Amino acid sequence: MTGRVCRGCGGTDIELDAARGDAVCTGCGSVLEDNIIVSEVQFVENSGGGSSAVGQFVSLDGAGKTPTLGGGFHVNLGKESRAQTLQNGRRQIHHLGNQLQLNQHCLDTAFNFFKMAVSKHLTRGRKMAHVIAACLYLVCRTEGTPHMLLDLSDLLQVNVYVLGKTFLLLARELCINAPAIDPCLYIPRFAHLLEFGEKNHEVSMTALRLLQRMKRDWMHTGRRPSGLCGAALLVAARMHDFRRTVKEVISVVKVCESTLRKRLTEFEDTPTSQLTVDEFMKIDLEEECDPPSYTAGQRKLRMKELEQVLSKQLEEVEGEISSYQDAIEIELENSRPKAKGALASLTKDGSVEDTASSLFGEEDVEDEELEAAASHLNKDFYRELLGSGNPGSSEAGGSPEAGSRPPALESLLGPLPTAASLGISDSIRECISSQSRDPKDASGDGELDLSGIDDLEIDRYILNEAEARVKAELWMRENAEYLREQREKEARIAKEKELGIYKEHKPKKSCKRREPIQASTAGEAIEKMLEQKKISSKINYSVLRDLNSKGGGLQREDVRPEDRASARKLSRRKTPASRSGADPVASVGKRLRPMVSTQPAKKVAVGEALLPSSPLAGAEPARPAVVVVESGPVSYHPEEEPEEEDPDEEDGEPCVSALQMMGGNDYGCDGDDDDGY
Amino acid sequence: MDADSDVALDILITNVVCVFRTRCHLNLRKIALEGANVIYKRDVGKVLMKLRKPRITATIWSSGKIICTGATSEEEAKFGARRLARSLQKLGFQVIFTDFKVVNVLAVCNMPFEIRLPEFTKNNRPHASYEPELHPAVCYRIKSLRATLQIFSTGSITVTEMKPFLHHWNLGWPWDLC
Repeated sequence: MTGRVCRGCGGTDIELDAARGDAVCTGCGSVLEDNIIVSEVQFVENSGGGSSAVGQFVSLDGAGKTPTLGGGFHVNLGKESRAQTLQNGRRQIHHLGNQLQLNQHCLDTAFNFFKMAVSKHLTRGRKMAHVIAACLYLVCRTEGTPHMLLDLSDLLQVNVYVLGKTFLLLARELCINAPAIDPCLYIPRFAHLLEFGEKNHEVSMTALRLLQRMKRDWMHTGRRPSGLCGAALLVAARMHDFRRTVKEVISVVKVCESTLRKRLTEFEDTPTSQLTVDEFMKIDLEEECDPPSYTAGQRKLRMKELEQVLSKQLEEVEGEISSYQDAIEIELENSRPKAKGALASLTKDGSVEDTASSLFGEEDVEDEELEAAASHLNKDFYRELLGSGNPGSSEAGGSPEAGSRPPALESLLGPLPTAASLGISDSIRECISSQSRDPKDASGDGELDLSGIDDLEIDRYILNEAEARVKAELWMRENAEYLREQREKEARIAKEKELGIYKEHKPKKSCKRREPIQASTAGEAIEKMLEQKKISSKINYSVLRDLNSKGGGLQREDVRPEDRASARKLSRRKTPASRSGADPVASVGKRLRPMVSTQPAKKVAVGEALLPSSPLAGAEPARPAVVVVESGPVSYHPEEEPEEEDPDEEDGEPCVSALQMMGGNDYGCDGDDDDGY
Repeated sequence: MDADSDVALDILITNVVCVFRTRCHLNLRKIALEGANVIYKRDVGKVLMKLRKPRITATIWSSGKIICTGATSEEEAKFGARRLARSLQKLGFQVIFTDFKVVNVLAVCNMPFEIRLPEFTKNNRPHASYEPELHPAVCYRIKSLRATLQIFSTGSITVTEMKPFLHHWNLGWPWDLC
């Protein structure tokens, strides 16, 4: 209501008519405004006599179809990328969500998660399907629906751990805390699948009680909730006199048989299992059990202790043996090749020059003690190291120190000395690192610090001539297959290079050419084709299989024209196909191939069109839904497809198949040409 | 410090992974033929060399990059790496020992009590994440130390981290245990 003043009479009483778009002064009647832009709902009469509102629905997120003002001229084709991503995501979410029977609220929440993920660029570098699945699973968790990650991975045919990784990342990035899964959530779902009939509720209740018992008995931490559910349901079913075999439960719950058995045995170990059915319903035992893996661990510990005691006794025996071994070892060392003079002296010099060695002067005493300890414990490691006379370097000093740890542990002196020795080594290591950092920096430009390295030992790592030859033989024999393949590959590449058609990177795509299907009936042909081909999601295979065929097989020439056809313009849905009208179904089967490979967009339409038309014997003018112009007999266009049609013509087909008719007319465009010519 | 408490927590380092470069191209075939404890994986293009003294397995690539695993302490890792470089030198390559870096340290620890994982996860929300469907342990990440702990319900804990140096000794155990 514009509070304006009339120009003519000065009155303020102005009437605004929204429908007509006028502003009129009631005093003098002069029109002040005309053609005001209005926002009224207009109604239009439609053919049935009723009236409908004029307008378009615009979707909430992103633009819908851009309205063509002025008609026909599509400005700004293709919305911007972000909107497209969101729209695509929304569509996929709905598709998956409907398969999981999630309600609309869940789907909207999932879409919100998805929007957040996109804005944080989490979709980059990840398959969209994975991100969508993760969003949906996040919703399932927050809402508490009984959907497992396994279900989602089943739907997508993706490894569940891959999905789990994406899901964890998403939850972390979006800072959403998914509440932990309670196995109780799954019970109603599995119980329903196991079909307990009227007693469903009672069995569920029993299973719930069992689960709670299991939780208190520490059986459920770290275990898959579905496994626990399966065990609880199995026991509950038996308690109520239902026969449910392990196999049935497994197929519902999706765990392995051994897992289920393990859960059952664990439950058996708990005191609750000793109660009868009635007692269980009434009483709840007070005490709790330890988790089964804990008891297993305790058992292992006890075994270990036993072993320790035994080994201590063995050590005394070993001591005697080790002295013999020492003698043998010394003999062997003497017979070993000596290091080359210069290098050996270098190593010794290097170790002496090391500044850190001074710190470890006192370590020499320890070394002797260690020697005794080491020989007693029969470790070559220390004997050689200390025996070959490299006492002083920091690392060698460090390693007897560190080495004192492994023998300390292994001699089973108990954990306390370990902690103590660790405490010491901590500080010592700090000293080492501060000192060794300097020499390390000096050798940072790449020289090898030879201190502490025993050349003799390393020499043994290098085989001599004869050994090298033997090893080469062995390796060749082992990897003969691989080597042969490599040689063939190289030969092939060389040959192609000669011929000049060598391509740097052969694409990995498999060849599209396939063997033509030789089949005696259409059904067989379809089966063979289905085996060969990637399954399309837009074709109703069950209907295909039911189609009655008229016999006749597919022939060779189909392959050729088919491939050529695929090379042609999209509008040609040619596959001259068919030999004869005799085999509409077989040609239908064959027709699917070019359709799937060439025009994915038209699949649905053609699929639908084919199915109704295929039952026809072929002679009648079918009315395919897509093709606009229908003609009776197929009119050949010799100049357009000479190579393809001629062989067909020679067959002298009397009747015309639906296929040909559809193939013959390309949406009426050629039909128009036809008429003109 | 908890290490000094009466319940002595023995934390064992079980694996130290380090990398270093030799800055020279290595002929894997030669190493494979003349080395004593080597496995040549030609299809992948690497040589595995196993040393006995510090028990170390080294993966050698022809570009000169070498990864050493299996050592039980950092010094041992360095020691083993140097031995390895020395043996390569003996085989005739112009080896330069550069870019030594400890990449990962794996340690194992055992608690004498069991842990309730769901409650633990709830109390340590941002750091801990638990997916019973995927893995039986809680994954606890400490960003400041770049450490990842896997906590099992039996009380055993596996610590992996990228930062060399045993700061995890000084971890204040930030737990509310039930």
